[in-house]
Amino acid sequence: MSERAPTRDELLAMAYVDDELERGAREEFERRLAAEPVLRREVSALRRLEVLARSAAPPEIEDHEWAALARDPAQRGTLAAGWILAVLGLCGLAGYGLYALGASVAPLVVKLFLGAFLLGGTALFLAVLRARLRILPHDPYRDVQR
Amino acid sequence: MILVSTEVVHGRTITETLGLVRGSAVRAQHVGRDVMAKLKNLVGGELDEYTKLVAEAREQALDRMTAEARARGANAVVGVRFTSSEVTDGAAEVLAYGTAVRLG
Repeated sequence: MSERAPTRDELLAMAYVDDELERGAREEFERRLAAEPVLRREVSALRRLEVLARSAAPPEIEDHEWAALARDPAQRGTLAAGWILAVLGLCGLAGYGLYALGASVAPLVVKLFLGAFLLGGTALFLAVLRARLRILPHDPYRDVQR
Repeated sequence: MILVSTEVVHGRTITETLGLVRGSAVRAQHVGRDVMAKLKNLVGGELDEYTKLVAEAREQALDRMTAEARARGANAVVGVRFTSSEVTDGAAEVLAYGTAVRLG
């Protein structure tokens, strides 16, 4: 936590998030918000803090057990190995499927349609992923636990 | 903004009732968390991936309801309730609603 005094913009952002700005000042701040990514990040961070403060629950008995388990090398290693093997297997299967299709005697038109379907699905997935990654830094709810 | 589940705010007087306000959110986890949750189904215990998912949706719905109340000039919402339904598998929908009021 920084000990420095907040800047004027940081104070403005706090007042904005707490709904303490007068109408004119609020509209002016929103105009700046639309144009200044740094200010948007500041507001996002404050909103995250606000949501976290509201949803903060007292620790439960098992919380420290969960935390200890998450740090446990055996648990981490098992999880990492599990994910790597599962993803490798899935990629391998997908690759083999494509190879088998290419080498099969299926009519060319079927191969083209299937290729278009896979390409379209990939493009849609990438579009969704891009949108999610763009929104993620401004999503104040991602740190909520329970 | 005061949010209460009761019909009145103790010690305060409702000077104006501004109508029903609500906010809903439908959120999903990424597939990795879904896979882990399905695996935990085999051994039991809390599915904390889904606890987190519902909590995220609850907070977002609450914020949307509050924003609507603020836009109407309210300084409190009384009779706040939550409800949920299943829109699609692996997603959580939460609806928060209440009555926006102005307190004296």
